[in-house]
Amino acid sequence: MSTIAQPCTTLSSLQKNQRGIIRHCNADGLLKQKLISMGFVPGVEILMVRNAPLRDPIEISLQNYLVTLRRNEARLIEVLAL
Amino acid sequence: MISVAFAGQPNCGKSTIFTLLSGVNQHIANYPGVTVDKKSASLKYEGETFQLVDLPGTYSFSTYSMEERVAKRFLLDEGTDIIVNIVDASNLKRSLYLTFQLLELGKPLVVVLNMMDVAKRRGAHIDTEKLSSLLGARVVCAIGAKGIGRNDILQAILAASHETVKNTEPFESGPFTPEAFKIDYSVLEPHIAAIETLFHEQTPFSRRWLAIKALEGDDVVLEKTGVPKDTIAPHVQDAEAKGDSDVDQIIAGIRYDLAARIYGACVTEKSGQSDLFTARMDRVILNPWLAFPILGLVIVLIYQLSIVSGYKLTDYSWPLLAAVKNQVIAWLPAPQFIDVPLLTDFGIWMTNSVLALLNYLPIFLILFALIAILEDVGYMPRMAFILDRIFKRYGLHGQSTLPLVLGGAFVGGCAVPGIMATKGIADERAQLATILTVPYMNCLAKVPFYTLLLGAFFEGHMSQMMFYISTVTLFIALIIARLLTSVFLKNRETAPFVMELPAYHLPTLKGVVLKAFQRVWLYIKKVMTIVVAVAVVLFVLLQYPGVPAEKMAGFRERADAELKKFTDISEKTAYHDVLDPPEKIYTLINAYDGYRAKRMQAKSGAATAAVDAAFKTTYPDLFPILRGEDSDAKKLNRAIRNLSTVNKQIQVAIKNEKITNSFLGSLGRILEPVTRFSGFDWRVNVAFLSSFAARESAVATLGAIYEKGKTDISPEAALAEDGAYTPVHAAVMLIFMLLTPPCIASMVVVKLQTGSYRWMLFAIFFPVTMGIILSALFFFLAIQFGWTGVETMRGFYLVVVLIAVLTGLLSPKKSDSHQSLPLL
Repeated sequence: MSTIAQPCTTLSSLQKNQRGIIRHCNADGLLKQKLISMGFVPGVEILMVRNAPLRDPIEISLQNYLVTLRRNEARLIEVLAL
Repeated sequence: MISVAFAGQPNCGKSTIFTLLSGVNQHIANYPGVTVDKKSASLKYEGETFQLVDLPGTYSFSTYSMEERVAKRFLLDEGTDIIVNIVDASNLKRSLYLTFQLLELGKPLVVVLNMMDVAKRRGAHIDTEKLSSLLGARVVCAIGAKGIGRNDILQAILAASHETVKNTEPFESGPFTPEAFKIDYSVLEPHIAAIETLFHEQTPFSRRWLAIKALEGDDVVLEKTGVPKDTIAPHVQDAEAKGDSDVDQIIAGIRYDLAARIYGACVTEKSGQSDLFTARMDRVILNPWLAFPILGLVIVLIYQLSIVSGYKLTDYSWPLLAAVKNQVIAWLPAPQFIDVPLLTDFGIWMTNSVLALLNYLPIFLILFALIAILEDVGYMPRMAFILDRIFKRYGLHGQSTLPLVLGGAFVGGCAVPGIMATKGIADERAQLATILTVPYMNCLAKVPFYTLLLGAFFEGHMSQMMFYISTVTLFIALIIARLLTSVFLKNRETAPFVMELPAYHLPTLKGVVLKAFQRVWLYIKKVMTIVVAVAVVLFVLLQYPGVPAEKMAGFRERADAELKKFTDISEKTAYHDVLDPPEKIYTLINAYDGYRAKRMQAKSGAATAAVDAAFKTTYPDLFPILRGEDSDAKKLNRAIRNLSTVNKQIQVAIKNEKITNSFLGSLGRILEPVTRFSGFDWRVNVAFLSSFAARESAVATLGAIYEKGKTDISPEAALAEDGAYTPVHAAVMLIFMLLTPPCIASMVVVKLQTGSYRWMLFAIFFPVTMGIILSALFFFLAIQFGWTGVETMRGFYLVVVLIAVLTGLLSPKKSDSHQSLPLL
């Protein structure tokens, strides 16, 4: 049985079809800019859509559209699991 | 003239709208110093001239990506009168993030809500009037893919332009509404106001925008305005302390918050049916079990349609090109027996060089159209999503898949479209690595060379050898990519992988065709010129200093003796007068060769009759000899056949002598001390050197050198008979050929895509050096252990595969964690 992510966790540990709310973005530099301009800002609700066939990268839905990012990038985004 | 800049986020359909307005007369260039396409067009509408510029697609103006830097620099340097913001109506909330920043620039803005049909299908209704009044900008609706909205957009631009004419002063406020659009940045406001006072010079854009950018630490803006970063630093520290976050996140949070409020006020959504189609498609296309088979199918389909059927299409286009060639030859002065005029030699050489490349146009056209379809549909980023994990291990990117496939993942692709397809790769390091590895894939034109060597030396092992040749290249490319990214490109910027998976769109025929033709045209324009220049150089290198006088005298003596034999016979015939001046005999030789060639091509009785009739009118007096109509003519026909054969033999001998003696021949000999470790003598060197202009000519040159006047045997047989080479030599030549870059055209495209001659030179010399070293190594090993040719190739194959697997297993350490900013 898969472990359900703790309420306070990172984006990379959300399960498929699990929702969450972004709390903080720990990335810096280019990655932070990119994430911000793609809508990863605190308070936004996200949905983990699926893993890639090889489990990395992952696909998530936020602000009404679909984004893919690598697991090591997702690890830097703190979320509140719903 | 009024300048109009088009801005929009990626996948908003900006180029479709741009094409809708400008039609086909677009001008494509690069932004200075970078390889980002700059599309511009001039347009007349209701008596006003507009200069349209398509800015690179950007999600925002605050990040450091190349596109965003380029877009910002263009706006700061060139300015613009009007900005048209293309917005994906089905993605309005996120798109507003960019719209706000464009509004802050303080120029009249026209918001084009594109893809209204998709928005409607998703159940969203947008109140455009309300949106317009909230933003203080004109808002028009469009469906670019269906060609709807052209007139509305142009009307809005025209109306906006009248505003600018009134407001030629630098703006402090937006001209469309009395109050400029202004976001309240709460805790940041005092700092923005303070920074605004630092700008002394007049600026083309609003001071407030510059101040916000400066507060964000935007280096382009700081550099342009000449405000030192230190002056801003205290403001940033203070603001971050008050806002309890960093400036970027504070600003972004406020903007997204406002976007959500405006969205809420203008859009009524029927929930439940959004994104249904895309979600359903993805459930299949990105399914863990189906993703790879579908991807494989797409790749095989592209390969089949473009390379295989494109190659078949050349069967139809080649006769056209051959006709052009024949016409050119007809215009050139005719050879005088063994003396071929220099102009004729040169003309034929140049025509061959150009036609060899034009011959690939059908393949390119199909390929570029298919790529355009994949791009427009939205499959490209999904391909990256599926394969990224594998490619990442070698320093490449999921988006490297298509370029490598086009370059020739199976036997025969082409590096030119492959390198061109790297354009979309976001990660600069992975993009460069892909550009530099695509040339290792198997180029179509290398195939004749492979078959020549396989036919000559590996008669019984053809399929095994072909398997090695066709599959080894991908492994080589992966190893090279890993080597490049961890050594030569180590300090290159890597970009985050984060990217949008856009909703699926149906591509439009017009858009696809236009894109394909634009890329083919780019190829013709940029590549052809360089190829022509190189062909000229190569011609000179092969032609001069020419055949030594005493050798030439020998050839001439033999030719004169043969001519004498012929005149001895002709003097005793009734055609004595017809062939009186010796020049007439030269004409007869040319006529005889031409007649035989034409008769051979003629397949039906009617065609044969037509050929006869044509030659009868051109050569009324010589025609009886060509046909051998009476006994005297028969005698002469036999004599001329003999003379023609001798003529060909002497000409091949002269050509052979010319190459031996040429500058390129000397270069081949100079290189012998280096290449002898690989078992290559100067003749092989010459073949490799000349093949660089176009790969096909390796076969032609090798053939010419080895034929040595024996016209009756195939190059394969000539090579095998020659005795100087063993299958081991051939295997080593194959190894070398596998590693060397395909042709000058592909290298020109490397220059185009990287924007630097240094990378082009690297792309030439790095593989060649590696080829020399590896071929020498395997030649040495083969001799040491007494391997056969097949064993040598197998050894090479196993070593390459082993290294590729090992490098893949060794995980590429920290380079993943985007530390593009060095920690000082």
